[in-house]
Amino acid sequence: MRRHYIVAAGLVAALLLTMPFAREATGRTEALLPAYAAATGVLEIMTAALLFALYNVQRSRALLILAAGYLFSALMVPVWALSFPGVFTALGIDFGAQTTAAVAALRRLGFPLFVLGYAFASGTSAAGRFTGVAVFKTVLLVSAGAALAVGFILTHQDRLPAFMRDERHINDIWLLVSYTGMALYVAGIAVLLVRRRSPLDIWVSLVLFSLVIELMLISFLGGGIRLSIGWWAGRLYGLTAASIVLAVLLFETTGVYARLSATIAAERRARQNRLTAMEALSASIAHEINQPLASMITNADAALRWLARSEPRLDRVEDALHRIVADGHRSNKVVAGIRTMFMKGAQERAEVDLNALVREAVTIAGTEARFEGIAIELELADALPPIIGNAVQLHQVLCNLIENGIDAIKSAHDRQRLLVIRTGFGAYGELHARVADSGTGIAPGMAERLFDPFVSTKPGGMGMGLMFCRSVIEAHGGRIWATANQPRGAVFHFSLPAAILPRDTAEQEP
Amino acid sequence: MNEPSAVFVVDDDPSILASLESLLSSEGHKVLTFESGTAFLAARRPDLPACLVLDVRLRGSSGLEFQRELVRSGIHLPVVFITGHGDVPMSVSAMKAGAIEFLLKPYRDQDLLDAVHNGIERDRARRAEARQMAELRERYAAMTPREREILPLVASGLMNKQIAVNLQLSEVTVKVHRAQIMQKLQARSLVDLVRFADRLAADHARDHTRA
Repeated sequence: MRRHYIVAAGLVAALLLTMPFAREATGRTEALLPAYAAATGVLEIMTAALLFALYNVQRSRALLILAAGYLFSALMVPVWALSFPGVFTALGIDFGAQTTAAVAALRRLGFPLFVLGYAFASGTSAAGRFTGVAVFKTVLLVSAGAALAVGFILTHQDRLPAFMRDERHINDIWLLVSYTGMALYVAGIAVLLVRRRSPLDIWVSLVLFSLVIELMLISFLGGGIRLSIGWWAGRLYGLTAASIVLAVLLFETTGVYARLSATIAAERRARQNRLTAMEALSASIAHEINQPLASMITNADAALRWLARSEPRLDRVEDALHRIVADGHRSNKVVAGIRTMFMKGAQERAEVDLNALVREAVTIAGTEARFEGIAIELELADALPPIIGNAVQLHQVLCNLIENGIDAIKSAHDRQRLLVIRTGFGAYGELHARVADSGTGIAPGMAERLFDPFVSTKPGGMGMGLMFCRSVIEAHGGRIWATANQPRGAVFHFSLPAAILPRDTAEQEP
Repeated sequence: MNEPSAVFVVDDDPSILASLESLLSSEGHKVLTFESGTAFLAARRPDLPACLVLDVRLRGSSGLEFQRELVRSGIHLPVVFITGHGDVPMSVSAMKAGAIEFLLKPYRDQDLLDAVHNGIERDRARRAEARQMAELRERYAAMTPREREILPLVASGLMNKQIAVNLQLSEVTVKVHRAQIMQKLQARSLVDLVRFADRLAADHARDHTRA
């Protein structure tokens, strides 16, 4: 954001600096005009091309309109320069006294209209699949329109309004163009800043602002005197602002493309990972269900055999039945876990309060913790922004991490029995949660593999819990990792992107 | 169970461990359970004919690795593998390393009990064989160098006269040695003697390759 203000402030400072000299005439500076015109034309054509390219990627009709505006403006430049009195006299060109001003008026009023079109059309994405055709049509349409307008001006010289008193001085009627232009610029800036859907909106409003400064210098402070210091200064400032905007646009476009290709690569990788993870997961689930099943069958067989003995051992039968019940509960837990993972609506997202999730998970796990004499401490940051996510899955992640922590503390008998759960912000403003236990800690070399399927450090553990946690957190655009706790134990961290406020959600649509 | 025996179970899943303990002891087996291979190795185990029931998937090292470790450390227990996800290469490699059975979870109880029974019988036979071999070695140790020289010649079917010529002894001396050999090895017939000689030769060969 700051960059916009710097450019805007620079423009204002330049305006103030130029103000005292604005009306002073310069010598025969017409010679510089072709250079200025060429620079402006190239700049605008490049901007238009860039916007067309952006449209190809993002398919937002607004971009197409803005690109058309730049193209239109660029097409007017050569006509304006060619018709400028005293510049191309050597070529024997004379378009009459009013042509230049008429072209300038057309360009000055036309461009903000396109920008307004852009500001209002924004958000509607083009339906057609053939963006190339749309671009082609737009270019054709704008060129034809420009040609028609120029043709009209050239053929109706005598009926053009008398903008110019002589070669260098304007008539009052030009002020009509200036006021209308001013009004259009300000309106455009207002609409863009109010709707502000993307960084591009702000840069375009900056372009309009530079045009305001330019027009102020040319028409008012410079007294409308052509080739005065104010007149030239206005144009040069406008040119500078336009180049800065083009540079920013270039920068952001390459950024968009870089992000795009990175996303595609990441997508491919993720798909590959998902495939292998799915294979591992299905094997893992099969095992996880098979294990209590095998145990149940063996227990039942054993019970039958204890009953069939000549002196039935009912105590052993009872033990076996108890184990069957426990195994049944265990397999039910597995099934419940799978259901949370694949449940219909696993993709459903809503605003979720991380602190509320933590409290809820702690309530559930709290009973076991109290039973085991483990204290759970909460250090929850105030005023955390919401996250966009699936509450059921994230709840399961927290439950898994808390259960793991409790298990780790349980297996480390004689130590301080404390589980600390903390929420807060990460280095980049993302939300960060950590579950720190005073348990046995992580064996060296295990930290990397902990989240892989089948990797477990618990007796009878399948290594599914942390893998589930990782897939959920990564599906939410976050990261999960483990570190060592001081003086002992382990810390499991995860970070999740904070929900972006709705106003800025149109990131992908500049 | 006419003679005492034991079953060792190694599985990192406590509930499987408990169920196997119950099933095997319902059939009168003496069962010892271990949650890991290391626990098994560290424990003092009864010196009885025994069988080892082993889960393929163990924490730390796999059951297959543990089986190889047992072979390396000279523990010759018959192994019955149980697994949730056995594939052919895995079972082949287990059988090659000396497993007697490879059972898929959930297995039929009779299959497991049969496999364990076979394992124990096999271990019993191996132990008996080892005991006999030890006795035989003791008897052999009591023989004089001359007698040890004559034994393979007798076993190869040479007559006393031929042996006497070979070793440049008198036939009577050979006869006396031969009687001594028969007596020291407690061989009742020539056939017994030949068998003992063969086993001793094989044992020597094994000692040689091991060294």
